[in-house]
Amino acid sequence: MAGKWTVFVGTLIGSVIIVLSENAATEIALRRRQILLQKELDMMPGSGMVLSDSELKANEIIMNMKLKELDFCFMNPQYFNFSKHFFDYNNEVNKSELFKLIQKMPKGAMLHAHDTGMLNADYVLKLTYWDNLYVCFNNNNTNFKFSKNQPNTACETKWQLMKEVRNASENVEKFDNDLKKIFTLVIDNPKDVYSDINTVWSKFQQYFINTDGLFTYKPVWEQYFYDTLKAARQDNIMYIEIRSVLPALYDLHGNVFDSVFTAQSYRDILDKFITDYPDFFGAKLIYAPLRLGNRETIKEHLSIASEIKEKLPKFFAGFDLVGQEDLGKPLKDFLPELIDASDEINYFFHAGETNWFGTNSDENLADAIVLGAKRIGHGYALIKHPVLMEEVKKNNIALEVNVISNKVLKLIEDSRNHPLASFLANGLPVVLSSDDPGLWDAEPLSHDFYVTFVGVASKHADLRLLKKLALNSLYYSSISNKDRIVHEFNIRWTKFIDDIVRGKW
Amino acid sequence: MNLIEREVDMQLGSEVILNDDEKLANEILMHWKQKEIEESFRNPQYFNFSKHYFAYKNDIPKSKVYQIIRRMPKGAALHVHSSLMLSADRLLNLTYENHLYMCNNEDGDLQFRFSEIPPKSPCHTGWLLLKDLRNLGDATKFDENLKNYFTIFSGSGQGCDNVNDINTIWRKFEKVSKAISQLIIYRPLTEKFFYEALNEFYKDNIQYIEIRSGLKSLYELNGTVHDKLYMPRLYREVAERFKRDHPDFVGVKLIVTRHRLKTDEEIRKTINLAMQVKRELPSFFAGFDLVGQEDLGRPLSDILPFLTEAKNELKYYFHGGETNWYGTSTDENLFDAVLLGSKRIGHAYGLIKHPSLLIAVKQNDIALEVNVVSNVVLGLVHDVRNHPLATYLALDLPVVLSSDDPGVWGADPLSHDFYITFVGVASKRADLRLLKQLAINSIKYSTLDTKHKETLFRVFYTKWDVFIKQVLTMSTNIYL
Repeated sequence: MAGKWTVFVGTLIGSVIIVLSENAATEIALRRRQILLQKELDMMPGSGMVLSDSELKANEIIMNMKLKELDFCFMNPQYFNFSKHFFDYNNEVNKSELFKLIQKMPKGAMLHAHDTGMLNADYVLKLTYWDNLYVCFNNNNTNFKFSKNQPNTACETKWQLMKEVRNASENVEKFDNDLKKIFTLVIDNPKDVYSDINTVWSKFQQYFINTDGLFTYKPVWEQYFYDTLKAARQDNIMYIEIRSVLPALYDLHGNVFDSVFTAQSYRDILDKFITDYPDFFGAKLIYAPLRLGNRETIKEHLSIASEIKEKLPKFFAGFDLVGQEDLGKPLKDFLPELIDASDEINYFFHAGETNWFGTNSDENLADAIVLGAKRIGHGYALIKHPVLMEEVKKNNIALEVNVISNKVLKLIEDSRNHPLASFLANGLPVVLSSDDPGLWDAEPLSHDFYVTFVGVASKHADLRLLKKLALNSLYYSSISNKDRIVHEFNIRWTKFIDDIVRGKW
Repeated sequence: MNLIEREVDMQLGSEVILNDDEKLANEILMHWKQKEIEESFRNPQYFNFSKHYFAYKNDIPKSKVYQIIRRMPKGAALHVHSSLMLSADRLLNLTYENHLYMCNNEDGDLQFRFSEIPPKSPCHTGWLLLKDLRNLGDATKFDENLKNYFTIFSGSGQGCDNVNDINTIWRKFEKVSKAISQLIIYRPLTEKFFYEALNEFYKDNIQYIEIRSGLKSLYELNGTVHDKLYMPRLYREVAERFKRDHPDFVGVKLIVTRHRLKTDEEIRKTINLAMQVKRELPSFFAGFDLVGQEDLGRPLSDILPFLTEAKNELKYYFHGGETNWYGTSTDENLFDAVLLGSKRIGHAYGLIKHPSLLIAVKQNDIALEVNVVSNVVLGLVHDVRNHPLATYLALDLPVVLSSDDPGVWGADPLSHDFYITFVGVASKRADLRLLKQLAINSIKYSTLDTKHKETLFRVFYTKWDVFIKQVLTMSTNIYL
């Protein structure tokens, strides 16, 4: 009787029915299996979406690409990139047809991004060609300063004019390549060098310290933001919410400006950008100072936030605290101050960007929820907190997930172990973002979408997930009236789909 | 409403009520646990559990938490493959038996055969007495080399540290399994091997074991080959002898297995044999399972018809979801394991990605046999803090800890898995109650009948009290 059972699959009024011969028990088992599997697929974001005929065709094309990549790697796991370090495969991503397609895809909004981590080392290097730039090579770091004359601030060696140092070097190309290393985390042997989370974070933070004098020069600051918007638009993003510590800017005339001014300068650049590119929808600011200091410091930060909100009500989105969560102050240390301001200011807290279960950084998640955060940055550890997961779902708090960042900053190695898989399976409100893509040579969103789609989500997840993630980014943004942007998104989406179907992408 | 408290009250072990002695012991245990975690939190470069198991295995004995756990009675080991229970050192000792011939086949794999005269079967290098080979040169060096065939432990972790992909690791693993099976299917060695394996588990404070094993044809020195039912009989005899020698050991049961790459016909044959074992040795037989690398093997759905057919007669203990590949047939073995009424599920690593199955597992009280060290060594996860077990514990799922193949990577029968789970996977807040509940679970979810469960519980609780007293005596110098 072996091998005699036969399965007939037929379609009847839209539902799949399975007719079996011979073994009723098997028939029932298979039917129950189908129901159970379907029940889960129905929970995934986007599962309720009805695709148009064109979308169905595009989906077939996309799924063919995805399954081709996955099936090959399933049989040849040595070639499965997403189980490796991002730096081991980021150059290969460009070869993927699916990646190229995702680049073209309208992705909606980028909601978790740090302003001075957006552009890569090549870009930053070009900034060092600007006039009036002085450099100071210390033993453990490098400082920059734009100045008409030799700066008089502290320097272990001496301040030199960048142009002169560069010209004096025997090999400019080598000089630039060496210089570039301080503008990136990318290296050839990340596993040897970044041996633990503190090591990689210290290099990461060193980047921000090194580049401070370079970026806070007002003209550079403005150019950098302009080019960030450009990169986002280029990556088919319509709108961004940018986190900034809002450092004091300076100019060549000895002026130093305050945080409110810095916020204002962003707004001005945004206006200019939208004049130049009217198809871009805009940006908002999340003021995100470092999670250091005491309650007094936080009070001051919050009052700056209020001031910005008052002056730039449409541009200001909310407040957050940044820095390595494990080593920074937990939210609970500032609870009274944060509660006080919570009626007035929207919160977008980083929380649970940690592997340490049951520690303060882990339990920031509970505080973020209690403080009414609109969205949570990372939420990596949420998977270990069933009660908090329920709260997030119930209160519709979006999780800003940054898969590649979590890999580079040493929370996870194999992307298939990233909790995002479970967040998606549970239908949690997820948006994808990229954190500081410039430091690891990633696009503003395309790499994170690609890695998520192929390396994290279920093999079954298809175009509906991609569309839903893009729509989520609009839905969970701080834009008050979303009709216009969603409308425009749909137009662009339809065009994207048509391009795929016509093979013209 | 305190969200954190609500969660802590929910996690596995939270219902355990500690008596006064246990509370004191818990303080001592937690003192050491917090100390370890806080030191690592401040100096993550020294946090072992984010590294490969091989990189820190030899440091484990230094840990005070480990020293406590090592003494703790652990109840039952419910997910172990019998041929891979014993460490390479012990296996090496077994190669000192007389009449052992050895050769290398063309792939460089070792072949073993006990025989009075050189075996006749063709072999690439020709059969030679192992004793002669050993004495040919430096015996110590020879033994070191030989040992490498019985383990995948590389000393540094570099060998398996993500340099190798999962298939490469599994190939090495299967090679080691093969070499060991070759050695131990010689009947007298089977007895010695199994008795020693039980002894290692017993010494790790395990009171009862459910082993998984394929049915192999054992042979005698004169070449006689036994039928496949001989092996379970012999296993049972050895287990009975061990029990007689160790009255505080409660016993062993057998889950009959077959490799999941085999054909319908071969698997069906094993199912029939399993039913024969069940009829002949009803108190020794536990159930049926399929083994081997899940990704590359046949999915359960492939053989659903005859697994469904046999499900009323056999209890199932299927491996399910020992994979990272979400949405693949391997991953979906979990659905079939649940639907086929599996009593427990082996690994269930992929379960975290299946919310409806998480509910089903809880509702149907299907225990998850979690093997953390195995999952690290066999390439599913690197930093154990990312192991889904953390979530299973937080959700209070029916979890039991086991060790899969501890001999192959030189782990303690259960203590390493308990220690790593307690310090590296579970919440910093998880305490003695978690450990006790995990031990209790291993008894609760064993396949023992009520009467024998009671016996096991009695033995366990007696030992538990002794253990608590031991911990309290450790306290004298604990705060120094």
